[in-house]
Amino acid sequence: MAGKTVSLFIQCLVDTMFPQVGEAMVAVFDRLGVPLAYPAGQTCCGQPAWNSGYRREAAAAARHFIEVFEGAEVIVCPSGSCVHMVRHHYPELFEDDPAMAAKARAVAANTFEFTQYLVDVLGVTDTESRFSGSVTYHDSCHLSRGLGIAMQPRTLLGNVRGLKLIEMRDSDTCCGFGGTFSVNYPEISTAMVDEKIENILATGADGVVGCDISCLMNIEGRLTRRGEKVKVLHIAEILAGLRGGDQ
Amino acid sequence: MMENEYFFLRNIHKALGLAPDNDRSKEQYPELFAAPDTRKILHRVRNRTAEERNELVELLRTNAQALGIHLHPAESEADAAAIVVEIIRSREPEFSHTKHVILHDHPDVAALQLWKRFTREAVTVHTTFSSDHELREKTIASFIGITAPAIGVAESATVIQLTRPGQPRSTSLVPSIHIALLRRDKLVADLEEAYTLLREEGRLDSMVFISGPSKTADIEAQMVHGAHGPREVHLIILPSSAGPPMAATGD
Amino acid sequence: MKTSSPSTYREAAVAGIDSAQLQKSLQGLQNRFGKGAMELWAGMADQEMRDRVKESRMKTFEHLDIVLAELAKNVRARGGQVHFAVTAQDAVNYTLAVAKKNEVKRVVKGKSMTSMEVDIDPALEQEGIEVVETDLGEYIIQLAGDRPSHIIAPCIHLNRNQIGRLFTDKLGIDFTEDPPTLTMAARKALREKLLTADMGLTGCNLACAETGMISLVSNEGNIRMATTMPRVVVALMGMERVVATMAEHRETLQLLTRGAALQKLSTYVSFLGGPASKDDPDGPREFHLVIIDNGRSRILADPEFREVLACIRCGACLNICPVYGKIGGHAYNSPYCGPIGAVVTPLLDGINKHADLCKGETLCGACKDICPVKNDLPRMLSALRHKLAYGSDRWNTRQHNPAEARAFRVWRLLVTRPFLYRTLIGLGRIVQRPFIGKEGTIRKMAGIAAGWTAGRDLPPVARRTFHQLWKEKYAGNRPTAPTIETPEEK
Repeated sequence: MAGKTVSLFIQCLVDTMFPQVGEAMVAVFDRLGVPLAYPAGQTCCGQPAWNSGYRREAAAAARHFIEVFEGAEVIVCPSGSCVHMVRHHYPELFEDDPAMAAKARAVAANTFEFTQYLVDVLGVTDTESRFSGSVTYHDSCHLSRGLGIAMQPRTLLGNVRGLKLIEMRDSDTCCGFGGTFSVNYPEISTAMVDEKIENILATGADGVVGCDISCLMNIEGRLTRRGEKVKVLHIAEILAGLRGGDQ
Repeated sequence: MMENEYFFLRNIHKALGLAPDNDRSKEQYPELFAAPDTRKILHRVRNRTAEERNELVELLRTNAQALGIHLHPAESEADAAAIVVEIIRSREPEFSHTKHVILHDHPDVAALQLWKRFTREAVTVHTTFSSDHELREKTIASFIGITAPAIGVAESATVIQLTRPGQPRSTSLVPSIHIALLRRDKLVADLEEAYTLLREEGRLDSMVFISGPSKTADIEAQMVHGAHGPREVHLIILPSSAGPPMAATGD
Repeated sequence: MKTSSPSTYREAAVAGIDSAQLQKSLQGLQNRFGKGAMELWAGMADQEMRDRVKESRMKTFEHLDIVLAELAKNVRARGGQVHFAVTAQDAVNYTLAVAKKNEVKRVVKGKSMTSMEVDIDPALEQEGIEVVETDLGEYIIQLAGDRPSHIIAPCIHLNRNQIGRLFTDKLGIDFTEDPPTLTMAARKALREKLLTADMGLTGCNLACAETGMISLVSNEGNIRMATTMPRVVVALMGMERVVATMAEHRETLQLLTRGAALQKLSTYVSFLGGPASKDDPDGPREFHLVIIDNGRSRILADPEFREVLACIRCGACLNICPVYGKIGGHAYNSPYCGPIGAVVTPLLDGINKHADLCKGETLCGACKDICPVKNDLPRMLSALRHKLAYGSDRWNTRQHNPAEARAFRVWRLLVTRPFLYRTLIGLGRIVQRPFIGKEGTIRKMAGIAAGWTAGRDLPPVARRTFHQLWKEKYAGNRPTAPTIETPEEK
């Protein structure tokens, strides 16, 4: 298999608040011998602006992103919603600018979510990871509905030694994050995440795993506020074997 | 053209990016109202074997049951009449104290000869002749309405009741119980076949598709039969008519 | 961004969230109908039907002038009267004139969102005409002086005890909580109204141009009653509620009843397009079809939103939306609630006025998946937010939140200038210090993050960002091998 150098697209929230998720992704790729690059000029993909309707600002962010990542052989990101932004909304942002639109489409076609890249592109279904304990999996909206990625993370989790995957009820129901929605409509957002948490707790799992740190931040923020002991993990952390349920 | 209509359509033209006063017509867009090719469907409907018809009745039975429709296969008109008489005898009126029954002016209903079956009981039988000016009162007074729908649809346990002289709309609606008589050869598989037959009808008057008794789930999502329409529906399947198989309403 | 005083949408949403009764009902509804519809679509033998119907809807809109003219022609050929109402007021005036001309004393209504959209009841009542809702749910709402909270199940927010007390109070029956008994009490009371009304006033689920008939679906039979027993029938129809042919009608109808209540067909589908013919012993003597624009042509004109006209008003999106599932229908403050309401209400009634509807969703996409015609409601919500972000002449919309707009302009500066961006993150690390609790998280923030920390903890900016870690730990000493060793190859 010819190995392309993966350019890491580190979601801004991962970069600033959850760097261990980025490190975990590096660890997994290193274990697989995948060459890595980190384009240092990257900032934010523009999703917050897009979601709030600020398309000019989103386009500026997109333009910057495209400049930074244009030369990449392949782009991989540990966040479904950011990949969804790049893949689906970047081309829309430049509908009136054919040259930029072409670049946007090229970058879009070359951008993958972490588990998607492992399973669908590299054909890796077993990362030889270990974890002891049970987890339940949260399907984030843009990942599952937007990108159609639901089996890939489950396949990877299924091959983690010592890990027991317990499906929760309504795993693909929105956790209530929704970007600025969570700040502007906190009562609704909290009611939604509470339902998610009830479903997580009902599984009795030690942890909840997902592929989007924004959802996980929402779930974790509520779990700790409620004093629940369930651990929240990004899938990269499990696949890297950095943290175990028995810590 | 009336002023309102003119401005209304002009706004649509504008919205569609057309010249405001353009007079495009449907003739320019033949595909818009193109009639589907229904020959295959008609052929299928008109050439069903007895076995296929039995299968349709079985499908109807399953679907009728799920909807709470009482399905009664009848071997003959006499058999059907006995079923109807039993229903009339065993049920009590909902809104009055006397038993009135109202029948569509239709040969299959007339064949029940209901008027002569209640000599010693107080059951009044009315027929919906179009000349009858007291029809509304009689319909409201009746606790059972009996009709012979034009088409039955097995897939959805539906009967299609066309409005026509002597066959008013309220007979299958206002009384508490609706009894529909359906000949086996009027039963089709699905809505596509039913719509095909309706198209063959030519110009349609008002009609209604009826699939089961009136129901509501508005109070705490609990299903209750009999919100406004009939709370009980009986479907009696009669043998095929002697005539040529299946013209939609070929009586 | 958002000011601290809660908006109406938020207030009503909170009221919904706090109502145990509503939460229970919504959960039951979504578990049954939302999941049911998704299963139904997945199991449908004809997997192209939804796309086909959508395509035919859009094709109809491209020829809407022709299709509506054909509908009007065919209704008139049946002896029906057709009125084209450009505005809501126009529709109200016309209906009122019909009622007055016919000396109508009592109007019975079939459930119609369009009638609420044009707000016809007060106009009729002002003329001394009694207006009676006949759908059981709507009747309960009317008796209670309440507002419907679901397209298909209007009184889902009330429980049997509340309805029992209401009936005791308004209908004078002995108190009961038994739904069948309550239903029978309403049946009796409404039968009287339905049999003695002078005019039936309905909506229109789907008109068919080719036949010149409208069709109305109901499970209760009230709409059949309202279109059969009164002397005069007036049907109010949004101009997009039309198909060209019976073939299109069949498939659209099948999606409607499946999406609405998982039914192959609703109990009744009534077709009518004119007064009773002179040989018909019953049926209305006059039939009026009022075709209403009221802002729809503006939607038609905008390619970004035209798609929303394809909606067949089944309400399936309400049954899956996680936001509607928490807040219920009242928060939308519109006859159209849920995801479809969040898109169509601002478009019909003002984007600024209904800014909260545009912004109050997570764009999770569930509504798009469940929609029988696959309307991309999240895309349209995003487009509405775009109008709010900068204002729009076409939509008479002004910039919704100048402060937010300024914030995003600053944000733009940061994300396009990595050095500034990195500097600010460093600054954030310092600014956050006083807010970090002993658990290592932020439990209370001021400003824009206050909404977050009201119910959730916020993680602080990490001591080292990934950006820094990469430089320090990972950048050097990279494997440069051009091939990937997969586990199998080891």
